Amino acid sequence: MKNLRLSLYCLVLIIFLAAPAGAREASLRLLYVNDFHGFAEPYQPLGATELLGGAAYLAAAVDRLRTGRPTLLLAAGDMIQGNNWANLFQGKSSIELMNAMRFDAMVVGNHEFDYGQQVLQQRRQEARFPLLGANVRGLPLLKPYVIKDVQGVRVAIIGVVTADTPTSTHPRNVAGLQFSPPDAAVARCLKELRGQADLVVVLSHIGYSEDRALAQKVPGIDVIIGGHSHTRLEAPVVVNRTIIGQAWEHAKALGVLDLDLKDGKIVRYEGHLEEIKPSLGGADKEVQQIVRQYSQEVDARLDRNVGETAVDLDGEQTRLKETNLGDLVADVMRAATRADAALINGGSIRAGIHQGPIKAKEVYAALPFDNYLVAIRLTGKQLREVLEHGVSGLEKKAGRFPQVSGLTFTFSRTAPVGQRVKDITVNGKPLDPGQEYVVATNDFLAAGGDGYRAFGAALKAGSGYREQGGALTSKNLAYINPGAWLRDLVIEYLKSQKTISPQAEGRIKALD
Amino acid sequence: MRVYVNQQAVEVLPGMTVRHALISAGLLDRLKAGQKAYDQWGNEVGLDGALAPEMKINVK
Repeated sequence: MKNLRLSLYCLVLIIFLAAPAGAREASLRLLYVNDFHGFAEPYQPLGATELLGGAAYLAAAVDRLRTGRPTLLLAAGDMIQGNNWANLFQGKSSIELMNAMRFDAMVVGNHEFDYGQQVLQQRRQEARFPLLGANVRGLPLLKPYVIKDVQGVRVAIIGVVTADTPTSTHPRNVAGLQFSPPDAAVARCLKELRGQADLVVVLSHIGYSEDRALAQKVPGIDVIIGGHSHTRLEAPVVVNRTIIGQAWEHAKALGVLDLDLKDGKIVRYEGHLEEIKPSLGGADKEVQQIVRQYSQEVDARLDRNVGETAVDLDGEQTRLKETNLGDLVADVMRAATRADAALINGGSIRAGIHQGPIKAKEVYAALPFDNYLVAIRLTGKQLREVLEHGVSGLEKKAGRFPQVSGLTFTFSRTAPVGQRVKDITVNGKPLDPGQEYVVATNDFLAAGGDGYRAFGAALKAGSGYREQGGALTSKNLAYINPGAWLRDLVIEYLKSQKTISPQAEGRIKALD
Repeated sequence: MRVYVNQQAVEVLPGMTVRHALISAGLLDRLKAGQKAYDQWGNEVGLDGALAPEMKINVK
């Protein structure tokens, strides 16, 4: 009798464990991309030996992986800005592509703000999926979260973007907005969502290290799908019982995360990155047509006249001497930043422009790099060091040779390196070694490119950045706008002029 | 903001990326030669990837 009772007990236990009354089992697949940046066409990244990415190939992979399991397709930010394919349409092309791919939700990245709030509102109206941003105050178009019912599984998707957004776009783009710490925003949403969701996914654009910190700090997140750091996370990792995934960048990979749930808890997961490249074959025809259509429009727009020059613009001798094109570019830089002076390395200018109508693509050929403007406070002594470095590679025709605005200087070709620069004026007055000057340059030189160290030294001396009222303030950083390329500012200037006829004005004079 | 590239400390501006850190460290050309940039957990990172304070990047 005792044995029979024990056997019955075991049988009941086995039945209970195998299929408890009311147990809900479900499976779900999350597909995800991040930091697309408008790279719709396949391209060959630095150091790669073949073409990678391509939105049509990405879309085909999404279609293939949608079969077999209930699926959500998610975007972790920075989708509408970066490549010409997106920039020339202020991201409209990216949204059209994402609509065709039937995205379910997207968190805004910091670069979604680069065209301003009005444009973001337009993109929101075009999107057939919600835009999320739980830690952004002052922008009603963003929802803190959405709850998706996926075949009976209630999936809450919370969106958070980097709190550093005000430091990575022009202050006017984020005027009136407040970006609070993502962890506090997620904790607040989790409280609101209690009892409403079976699964909580945070769609984050805060970077991989911050995703890990978020998982450590805020319990109760099932999955974080991240972006911002462009991390190639080949397989999801688990931090404090939260699964974290991120899918590299530029549509070169598609993240796949399969989840098995039982009674609202994840009992199994498996994830990987699906490689996306043309050589693997298979392109989605509808998306391919969208990509092609906008690519043709890019070509047409770059073929349009944006201005006219009465003289040839010299882009060939910018490593040797002052040229009229160097002057023009430096003048645009100084005007845009309202700096005392501007300086660009001659190597940033790669081609000249012939007399006559100027096409946009000629400006792009002259300024092919994705450079943006930075203005830094330098002492007169540091400015002299900058110019000395600029003329230190004359013998090699080095790209560091400066093109300038707002200042003049003379130099000796034959003097020893470090003693070549002689007289310097800023705004018509002799340089004062102890005075502070705001000097505009590009991000390449500010980072120490072409061996320019004085900008970095000035920034290091004046570190302690802080965001105030949507603007970045620090002791020695006067201006930064990573959301606008220099070449586009030059095009805007050309459009504002009827005809230009710049002359090399004698800003840089060799004494021998 | 300070980050490290192959143990070398470099100072970059907020908003700058892995690309700028590599320029500052003089190591961008290594990527042209086929090397890649990795974070401190060994994950490859794209050149346009955002930096975090005290981040450690390895180029190899």
